Amino acid sequence: MSAQLSALVGAHLSDRRRSLLAWGLPLGLMSAFIVAIFPSVEDSISKAVQGYPSGLKEAFGISQLSTVEQYLQAEMLSLIVPLALGYLAVRAVASGLTGAAESGRLDVLLSAPVSRRRLVAAGFLATAVELAAVLVITGLLTGLGSLLAGAGLAAGPALAGFANVWPLALLFAGLGIIASGFSLRTSVVTGAVAGALVSMYVLDLVGRLDTGLDWVRYASVFRYYGNAIEDGIDPLAFAGVTAAAVALGALGAWLFDRRDLAG
Amino acid sequence: MSAVTAIETESLTKRYGAARGIEDVTFSVAPGEVFGFLGPNGAGKTTTIRTLLDLLHPSSGSARIFGLDSRRDSVAIRARLGNLPGDFGYGKEATGREAIALLARLRGDGDLGRAEALAARFRADLDRPLGQLSRGNRQKVGLISATFHEPELLILDEPTSGLDPLMQEEFLALIAEERERGCAVFLSSHELDEVERVCDRVGIVREGRLIAVERIDDLLGKARRRIVVELADPGGIETLRAIPGVEDLALNGTHTSFSFAGDLDPVVKALAVHHVRDLEATHPSLEEVFLSYYREGGEPG
Repeated sequence: MSAQLSALVGAHLSDRRRSLLAWGLPLGLMSAFIVAIFPSVEDSISKAVQGYPSGLKEAFGISQLSTVEQYLQAEMLSLIVPLALGYLAVRAVASGLTGAAESGRLDVLLSAPVSRRRLVAAGFLATAVELAAVLVITGLLTGLGSLLAGAGLAAGPALAGFANVWPLALLFAGLGIIASGFSLRTSVVTGAVAGALVSMYVLDLVGRLDTGLDWVRYASVFRYYGNAIEDGIDPLAFAGVTAAAVALGALGAWLFDRRDLAG
Repeated sequence: MSAVTAIETESLTKRYGAARGIEDVTFSVAPGEVFGFLGPNGAGKTTTIRTLLDLLHPSSGSARIFGLDSRRDSVAIRARLGNLPGDFGYGKEATGREAIALLARLRGDGDLGRAEALAARFRADLDRPLGQLSRGNRQKVGLISATFHEPELLILDEPTSGLDPLMQEEFLALIAEERERGCAVFLSSHELDEVERVCDRVGIVREGRLIAVERIDDLLGKARRRIVVELADPGGIETLRAIPGVEDLALNGTHTSFSFAGDLDPVVKALAVHHVRDLEATHPSLEEVFLSYYREGGEPG
C-alpha cells in the first residue's frame, strides 16, 4: 500500500473510531443476549418453529431451531446483522466523500497531491476494515455471551456466519461510492443506498416465498448470502460478491473523478 | 522557483447548466507576483479558484499552472501549490496538528518544523479540536496548512476573514515574505485595503467576466482624481468648466471642487492665470475605484 493510501486509510479509521464501538457494542451485546438465553428458551422455540408454515421457514432459512447456531442465524444473521452492516457500510464510505465535501475537508485534502481515485480507494479500504472490525467485536461478544451462559456456540460455524456478512455489506459501500458520483449530499447517498439495501432484502424474500418469482432474486445480493453458519462459507459466492463490491467501487471512483465538486 | 508563468488562463469558462459561473476569463500570474482577484459575492471568484484547482471542470477554455494543464496534470500541480479555501473546514474532532500532519504525509514530507514556527507566529492553537475553534482561529490553521511546505504558488480565498487586525498585519507580512521567496500568490479578497497594500496587480470580476486586469498603480493613476482649489477670484470656475474631462464641478464659498482623469497639465495651465491660494489633488482609494467599476458598469474614466 502506498504511503498516501495508508495515511488516508489511517485518518479515515481514526475519524471513525467511535463508530466501531457505537455499532459493534450494541450488535455484539444483542447477539450475546440471543445466544445466552438460548438454553432457557430452547424447548419452547423448537416446538414453536415446528408449527410455522413451511413456506415461512423456507423464506427465512429456518429449517429448525434446535441448536444455538441455528437460533443465532435466525435471530441475528439472517436479517439484523446484514441490514445493520450494509447501512453502516454506506454511512462509513459516505463520511469520507459526501461527508468530507459537506464539512470542507475534501477541499483541504484535494489541495494536496492526491488523486480523487486514491481518495475513494482509501475510503473503500477503510470501510472494509471498519466492517471487519465491527464483525469481530460482534463475534467476540457473541462468543463471550455463549461462554458465560454455557450455550455451547461452536466457534467455527459462528465465525463463518459473521464473516459471510462482510462481502455483502461491502457491496453497499460500492453502491455508496456510485451514489456519491451523482450526489454530494450525505442524506441523498445514504437514503438511496439504504433503499436499495431494503429493496434487495425484500426481493430476495419475495423470491423465496413464491417459487414462481424466484428469478427476482437475481437482482438481489442476498441471493448469494446463504446460511454460512450451517452450510459454511460458499467460496465462490464470497469471492464473487467481494469482486462485485470492488467493481462497483471502481465504477464509483470513475464517476467521482469526473464530477464537479462544488463548494 | 520556476520561471514558467505561475497561472495562465485562456477563455476559461464554467457554466452550471443554464446558470452563470465564469465566462471567458483570461489572465496570467507571474512567479513572485501577488495578484488580487476582486469582486462581490457571486461574481465568480470562488468558481475561478475551484476551476484552477480542478475541483470544477471547465466547460471550455483552459487553465495552465506552471505550464501544466489544470485538469490533466492536477496532482502534479497540487504538489507545488498551497491552497486556503474560503472557510477552512476539516471536520470537528481532528486537531489542527492532526490535519497538518496528514497533509504533510500526503506531500511526502514529515517535517512540521515550519508549521510549528508559523503556529507560534500566528498564535494558532494546533492542539484543540477544530470544531472548538472560532472561524478566525480555524483560518490560522488553514493558513499554516497552505504555507508550511513552502509552495511555489499560493491560492488564497478570502484569507483574512475572521482574523483580528494584528493577525491581518502578520498575514500581510507573510505574503510579502512569500513574494520575496519567489512564490506567486493568487489572492481573492473583499479587504480592498489589504489588496492595495500587498498586491502587484488586480483583476476585477463582475458577473462572471473579468472586466479589468491592471497594475494597482495604473488603476489608481487612471482613475478620476478629486481636486479642490481655492481661488482668490471665484469667477475662475468658468475657466475650469471649459476644460474637457472636468466633471462634478462645484463651488463652495471660495473653494472649487471637481473630478478629473488623466494628465493634469490643462488644469494647471488654466489655473495659472488665476491667483491660486490652495490646491489639493487626491487619488481615490482602491475601494473607490472598485466601486466605480460596479456603479458605472465599466472602466472608470
